[in-house]
Amino acid sequence: MIATLDPASAVLPVGLDVDWRLMEDEAAADPRTQFEEQALPFMDQLYAAAMRMTRNPADAADLVQETFVKAFASWASFTQGTNLKAWLYRILTNTYINIYRKKQREPYQGTIDELEDWQLGGAESTTASTARSAEAEAIDHMPASVVKDALQSIPEDFRLAVYLADVEGFAYQEIADIMKTPIGTVMSRLHRGRRLLRDLLADYARERGIEVPATRSTT
Amino acid sequence: MSDCGCDKARKDLEEYLRNEVCKTEHADITEHLESCPACQEEALVARTLTTVVARACKETAPEQLRDQVLARLRAEQATHH
Repeated sequence: MIATLDPASAVLPVGLDVDWRLMEDEAAADPRTQFEEQALPFMDQLYAAAMRMTRNPADAADLVQETFVKAFASWASFTQGTNLKAWLYRILTNTYINIYRKKQREPYQGTIDELEDWQLGGAESTTASTARSAEAEAIDHMPASVVKDALQSIPEDFRLAVYLADVEGFAYQEIADIMKTPIGTVMSRLHRGRRLLRDLLADYARERGIEVPATRSTT
Repeated sequence: MSDCGCDKARKDLEEYLRNEVCKTEHADITEHLESCPACQEEALVARTLTTVVARACKETAPEQLRDQVLARLRAEQATHH
């Protein structure tokens, strides 16, 4: 009876089988179910990024929550098959900038890109190569807390560029989209951020008696 | 650094390591790295920095955050649909 080919019977739910199928279809089409299945697996990653942005677990949790609520509200505008992670990171970054950055009353860092390289000690190293492997080894043995502290102490825009590139592995164009800056600015922030980070870690190693060659030209 | 390809390799090393350079330049830098221990070490430091930052930044979201997010999404759907 259910397997009848009469199209009229398909209109009326005549048996349990039909009801089940309808329910499954509805569940699959339900935007919240779809959103939860696709977006929620990124929670740990978004939380880790939020921790580097807000610097404390309570604000990070709030930021992630807001991000998911906002993402869900604009879920209809997300094109299936495009990069969901990058889309979520754009919302996370926007939310952070709009709400939390204002709240934190940090000194304004908007002009950081205008600093000259010499002010940041950005000159490329010309140190003898043999000592570089010592630097790599020292960095490799750095405790996670030291690396996080160092990351936390560099200017925010640099930190974010380093985070998105090194931790998330986003391409330059994706970072440019997330941070709403030209690719040239992304590269400059990334290079300078990594340079500062490298210097901070080298300083830390040197304070502990590990010999690391200077990475900046001090003229 | 003498003019042996080091300057070019150093300048674009970050982009090279992230596959953000064109094929020709990629080949040039690869070739240079094979014969230049100094630039190899520089590349090692750069790669190590990336690995160490990625390693240090791993976090697991608190268990209750997942429940809070699910509850918020349910509430949002109830008010807007």
